[in-house]
Amino acid sequence: MLVLSRQRNESIIIGDNILVTVVDIRGDKVRLGIEAPSEIPVHRKEVYEAIKQENLRAAQLDPADTHPLTRAETSEPPGPSNASPS
Amino acid sequence: MWIATTRFGPIQFEPEDVIQFPEGILGLPCCRDWLLLADVRNQSLAWLQSVDRPEVALCVVSPRRFVPNYQVRLSRRELEPLKLQDVQSAEVLVIVSRSGGYITLNLKAPLILNLSGGLGRQVICYGDQPIQYVAASLTPALRKSA
Repeated sequence: MLVLSRQRNESIIIGDNILVTVVDIRGDKVRLGIEAPSEIPVHRKEVYEAIKQENLRAAQLDPADTHPLTRAETSEPPGPSNASPS
Repeated sequence: MWIATTRFGPIQFEPEDVIQFPEGILGLPCCRDWLLLADVRNQSLAWLQSVDRPEVALCVVSPRRFVPNYQVRLSRRELEPLKLQDVQSAEVLVIVSRSGGYITLNLKAPLILNLSGGLGRQVICYGDQPIQYVAASLTPALRKSA
């Protein structure tokens, strides 16, 4: 891994068009500003990983398991039952 | 054109039916071309069927049917690649999954589609939206009122 030291308000540039700036440093927390073209997704890694896992799990869904969704839609989602039609 | 899907059998489609996700979908980066199929047995569902991989399909629903106050909070830049005429023409779908005995919806990372432009993108929205919102239980609650 390439390791670079940067101070507040200093940046690194990745390729021609991704700019990462150290906006603030407080204790063990660093705030980064990222400028990248809109077609390049930028995410927190733990959120990215969680969504990746969820997508892979979703791709395993058995169509036969989806039948409760009709009920969930016509009645209220889980919670106290009530009979107010939407 | 034909695709022999593992779940739904052979499906015929036209090139203009294809919805392209230029970045792929997280975890499924090689699946860029998809078809949106209605579920004949359950009209509240649809399936995004991968054109590239016949065994890959994602069940999707319109989130407001299940979560009436659901809102997608995004920066406008996230929508730019979709080339939408206007924001109102965006179609929002969420992916259905199963976690244990529950059917869940991924409200954190919805799919935004430009159906007329044939483009889609999975986005991650701001705020505390659950990745696994429990929409239904696989074990029926025996609580039906008359």
